[in-house]
Amino acid sequence: MLTTTSATPFKSYVAPLPGDMRATADTNEWCLPSVLRDVHLAKPRLLQGEQIVASAPAYMYSPIDPMDSSGGSGSTLSATSSASGTPADRHHKEATFGLLSVTNFKLAFVPLHEKRNQAITAPLIDLYQENIYLGRNEITLNNIDHIYTISELGRAASALQAARGMASHAGMSRRKKLEPFKQQNISGRIAALHIVCKNFRLLKFAFQQQDSKMFGASDQGKLIASALVRFAYPMRHDLSFAYAHREPYYSTLGASGTSMYATKNDWARELIRCGATEWQVVSCASVQLLQNPLQAGKYTVPPHFVIPKSCSVDRFLDLSRAFCDSRAAFWVYSYGSSAALVRLAELQPAAQQDTKSENVMLELVRKCDAGRQLKLLQLTDRLPSIQDVLRAYQKLRRLCTPETPEKFMLQDDKYLGLLEKTNWLFYVSLCLRYASEAAATLRSGVTCVLQESNGRDLCCVISSLAQLLLDPHFRSIDGFQSLVQKEWVALEHPFQRRLGHVYPAQPAGGNAELFDSEQSPVFLLFLDCVWQLLQQFPDEFEFTQTYLTTLWDACFVPIFDTFQFDTQAQRLKAVTDSQLVLRPVWDWGEQFSDKDKMFFSNPLYQRQRGDLGAQAAAVAHRRSLAVGHKGAHGGGSGVTPSRNTINPQLFATASSVPQDRYLQPAHRIFDLQVWDQCYYRWLPILDIRGGGQPQVDLFHRLLLSNIAKVQRCLDYQNFDDLPDAFYEFAGESRPNQLKDEKPDKEDEAEFVDGVERRRKPTAKAATPTSGLTSVPGKLQLSTLSSFFPFGNPIAGDAPLQLYDILSSSSELLMETSSFLDKSSIV
Amino acid sequence: MDPSASLADKLASKTASSNSLDSSSKSSSLGSKHGGGENGILRDTPFGYLEGEEDQDQKNDVTYVCPYRGPVFGALTITNYRLYFRSLPLRDQEPPVVVDVPLGVIARVEKIGGATSRGWDGWAVYEPLAELRRLGVPNDMWRATKLNESYAICDSYPAVWAVPKAASDDFLRRVAQFRSRCRLPVLSWMNPRTQATITRCSQPLVGVSGKRNSDDEAYLSFIMEANAQSDKLTIMDARPSANAIANKAKGGGYESEDAYKNVEINFLDIHNIHVMRESLRKVKEACFPTTDDSKWQTAIDNTLWLKHIRCILAGAVRIVDKVETMSTSVVVHCSDGWDRTAQLTALSMLLLDPHYRTVRGFEVLIEKEWLSFGHKFQQRIGHGDNKHSDADRSPVFLQFIDSVWQVSQQFNNAFEFNEHFLITIVDHLYSCRFGTFLCNTEAERVAEDLKHKTTSLWTHINSSLDQYLNPLFPSFTHGAELVLRPIASVRSVRLWKGLYCRWNPGLCAPQHGCQRTRELLSKQDQLFKLVNELRLKSNNRSNSMQTTTRLASPMH
Repeated sequence: MLTTTSATPFKSYVAPLPGDMRATADTNEWCLPSVLRDVHLAKPRLLQGEQIVASAPAYMYSPIDPMDSSGGSGSTLSATSSASGTPADRHHKEATFGLLSVTNFKLAFVPLHEKRNQAITAPLIDLYQENIYLGRNEITLNNIDHIYTISELGRAASALQAARGMASHAGMSRRKKLEPFKQQNISGRIAALHIVCKNFRLLKFAFQQQDSKMFGASDQGKLIASALVRFAYPMRHDLSFAYAHREPYYSTLGASGTSMYATKNDWARELIRCGATEWQVVSCASVQLLQNPLQAGKYTVPPHFVIPKSCSVDRFLDLSRAFCDSRAAFWVYSYGSSAALVRLAELQPAAQQDTKSENVMLELVRKCDAGRQLKLLQLTDRLPSIQDVLRAYQKLRRLCTPETPEKFMLQDDKYLGLLEKTNWLFYVSLCLRYASEAAATLRSGVTCVLQESNGRDLCCVISSLAQLLLDPHFRSIDGFQSLVQKEWVALEHPFQRRLGHVYPAQPAGGNAELFDSEQSPVFLLFLDCVWQLLQQFPDEFEFTQTYLTTLWDACFVPIFDTFQFDTQAQRLKAVTDSQLVLRPVWDWGEQFSDKDKMFFSNPLYQRQRGDLGAQAAAVAHRRSLAVGHKGAHGGGSGVTPSRNTINPQLFATASSVPQDRYLQPAHRIFDLQVWDQCYYRWLPILDIRGGGQPQVDLFHRLLLSNIAKVQRCLDYQNFDDLPDAFYEFAGESRPNQLKDEKPDKEDEAEFVDGVERRRKPTAKAATPTSGLTSVPGKLQLSTLSSFFPFGNPIAGDAPLQLYDILSSSSELLMETSSFLDKSSIV
Repeated sequence: MDPSASLADKLASKTASSNSLDSSSKSSSLGSKHGGGENGILRDTPFGYLEGEEDQDQKNDVTYVCPYRGPVFGALTITNYRLYFRSLPLRDQEPPVVVDVPLGVIARVEKIGGATSRGWDGWAVYEPLAELRRLGVPNDMWRATKLNESYAICDSYPAVWAVPKAASDDFLRRVAQFRSRCRLPVLSWMNPRTQATITRCSQPLVGVSGKRNSDDEAYLSFIMEANAQSDKLTIMDARPSANAIANKAKGGGYESEDAYKNVEINFLDIHNIHVMRESLRKVKEACFPTTDDSKWQTAIDNTLWLKHIRCILAGAVRIVDKVETMSTSVVVHCSDGWDRTAQLTALSMLLLDPHYRTVRGFEVLIEKEWLSFGHKFQQRIGHGDNKHSDADRSPVFLQFIDSVWQVSQQFNNAFEFNEHFLITIVDHLYSCRFGTFLCNTEAERVAEDLKHKTTSLWTHINSSLDQYLNPLFPSFTHGAELVLRPIASVRSVRLWKGLYCRWNPGLCAPQHGCQRTRELLSKQDQLFKLVNELRLKSNNRSNSMQTTTRLASPMH
């Protein structure tokens, strides 16, 4: 690209006919009229209730070209851009031309020339994650964190360079952050936009100045930028697209084991499962005090919570007023005989001097423990504040979203040092450490109380991690979803404020510090911790890293209410006042096809016999409860809380949680890694083609698929449909592959004798009989991106084969029989 | 390798299958153990010996895998006429299983398994001519020559070279004079499909005055012309350009693009042995004896070790790019062409050629690119030398193994061997238990007669291969990628804790291993075996009724 700045500025960047571009560039005309006409054909697909706010033709740039990675020095850049390279390489280098639209839901870019390649790429893209609501080049407005405008002071010709943020043009272009609500007069023409997303994506668009009759002489960049500023930073939650999208929702979650903790029964079941007999569930709806509108305002408690049985509800509420957000000692989990995990807020600042309430509260909790023992784990002193987490996240994101190859290399040179300065891994390490400490406390039979200022942020992280470490149930997909539902949604982690779904109107003076102070990706910190556990215990979790990454993405799809609200009361209000359609994110079929859901299940996971037993028991409990209360609990909608009281003592009082399957993770920074799939996936430069974890997973899935197929053959005593690997194993050729050289196992010996088999299968593939994909005789594993199912599709995949492997391996994973139990495999 | 020994090995365990009408001998497999069955072999064999028939061999502990009754235990006799098996009578009421087949009836003998457990001479792993044949040399453009058989032309080069056919022996002698230590460009690897090559050499003796040598220039153009796909030749100088220029003062230097036609020179920015030694010293300091977890990353960053690894990876990827994507031949050199050059050629060959990613192939790669081309193991490691702080010590080979490990971390199932294999190589690099890494050059090794006086590391490794195998390496499929392109970024390069931190008890990383993978593999094989037996049974049944052709199964 150093060469391109000289004589022919647009040679390698502009997709449509470089010759024409060059001719028109000098006159500030920017494209062929026919292309402009086509722009109107490239409309984004709209959902029900979605409206286009602004549209403009634009160029989209890939964040960093993968080819630039090869060299440590700048000399490669000129070599690669001037040399012809393969068509695929050039494809990455070029900007894509198309229509950029802002709607009330998303920012959508529709490439104009996609149709040309569709015949080749369509079946490939198919295998990569596809969201029903969002295309590959679309992001929700919720996902947008920062918008930078590159306003251009020089000639129009520099616009494209400005889009790439070239250092050499720093004098001519100015990168500026757009602040929400500041109706700043955007000075100068906007040549390019950089959009930094909360999920680490960086989008780069460039606009070209024009005096076309079709669009008028307006500034396209300004048009998009001002639309984004208006719509991406809503001041009220009911401006969110969720309220405009009135598509009805029909739950398919009924069959799943995800507990929503939206009813009293859900909590009661958990009490029974844990064998917690000293605790009781309280529903706001059945408490007189909280039904009194005058009194209710003093308390900000969730609709259902669990408190010590020895304490009356009124006394508890009375005590709770001393605590921040009324969060006094909520039970969340019990382990072993009676050790409980309890979440507690700190005393209100005004009441800090008087620790009586706190002492009384702790005494009540202590009484619930058989050994009368209690450990108070104060998180505020030990863990970062939410502001610290936000700062770490922003620094980390800066490392993951370099705008230029130069910046990438610059960061790369002192990467580990920079990574350490973000503190992100340090915080992950702290979370794992204190979660382990809490888990160890419970294991030793001592009740553990987690205390944090409002009991709704890092309490959620430590509490849910501790339960993941202790209880294998939470390591299944259903269990994990129940855990998030319990710890984060039901006990009200303020998602709306933490994820920045709403930007409250600022007080005069525009204090940016204050504005940011409520935002913090605490949930991402939790997901990262879970990912670290997944790395350390790859066969203990039913879900994959893809599931976790998808969960983080799902935080920014407003159509799903799970991560949209601060409190349950807020959620109920939205339903009653604005007829919001509630749609839990756990109903993954709403967003993804079956094929994409398969990527959520871990091929290495081994379901234990015990798990199935426990599951059956849980179902049985549910059934008995449902019968006992005339089907009162309504499918997890949570709109009508049950008024029935369940006495846990009617049921088994012993914990059904296995005591021998706890995890003890390493938590030093030394043992931690960077979550590459989630953080790096938008950087094609870091994509290991045919490598990384996806390729290993694919191999395991292939094994599972082979086992499933052979098992089926054995079941039916029909040996016509054996997997390819079997023929390889038996040293035979597939019956229908007539011409097939026999791969024999003596090739190593033959090598010594100097008789050689051909080295490269591609050479064999060059014979006209076989196509691109298969080498005769041997099965070729598909090549995946290391960010699969994210990242860019790879040409030459064998999607059908891949799909076959996926579906038959999932068959086995989903199977409820204990065929693949640890014990059944020697 | 001793030919008689290998023949005996082949006889040791095998499957005999005959085309006779007697279907019972089909797929009978005989596994036998050595151990001499001479303790009282009963001579009461119930078959009548023919005239002139004599016992050739007898084993008492043989299992015959009968397709009907499963495995039966018995005794096997081989005469000069027949193969006779009789099961040991376990239960009196059952008639013994007897297999009596004249030797002439046997159509084919297949050996099953056993390949890994055989004793194996590691010194024979690398046969220069066989390896060249594998690459397709000799061919129209390249020839193999034993010009250097007495190591007279270049004492640090191997006896066998592959050179362009256009270059005569005398010509080669003249070219050698223009290269540092006579290390002229010799073929390392060739893509059999495109004929694009990697050749290695040392720096040209250009000097300050910018000397030219028409023979050397012509020689490089021969190398270029040997590859019809490209009209360019790329020279990869592993050094930083400043170092290359500085070398001119010592009489060395680099090829100028003016003197050499159609040549493009690139500098790969890899630092010299002294920088690497210092960097590794810092790594040791960071890992021993105590570490501060909160400063760990900065400490590692400051060693620059990962940056050096990145540079080597990036260099190898650039070579791969040229050879594979552009089909351009590449000449690699540094100063003397035995340190950085070996790193680059070996690594890029590993990335280009799946063969080198197997255990045997990797052994060949080390034998060829490192040992035969004269990487100075003795000097770099300091075997038999009491000058501990000699300036010639440097972890160049270790760095190569580290780079291989990095690639294996990025491509988990592209390698037949595992981390343990690499660590074993590193351990025995220093252990002096095997002769493999002794001496500096092939000439010295021949003079010391290491082949006979010492054991090869590969003998040791290949005799217990199982522990060095990577279960993720798909034995029944090709790996995903034939050509690997690792990501050369510090973001993707990691410190090899399994090697550098393994003695620090505080830093022992928990290893989860591949337990589950092994379980799944064994489950799969178990099922495969079951199906195979069932299928043979049903095949035999249908064969006995009528000879039906099996229907082609539908593709799925």
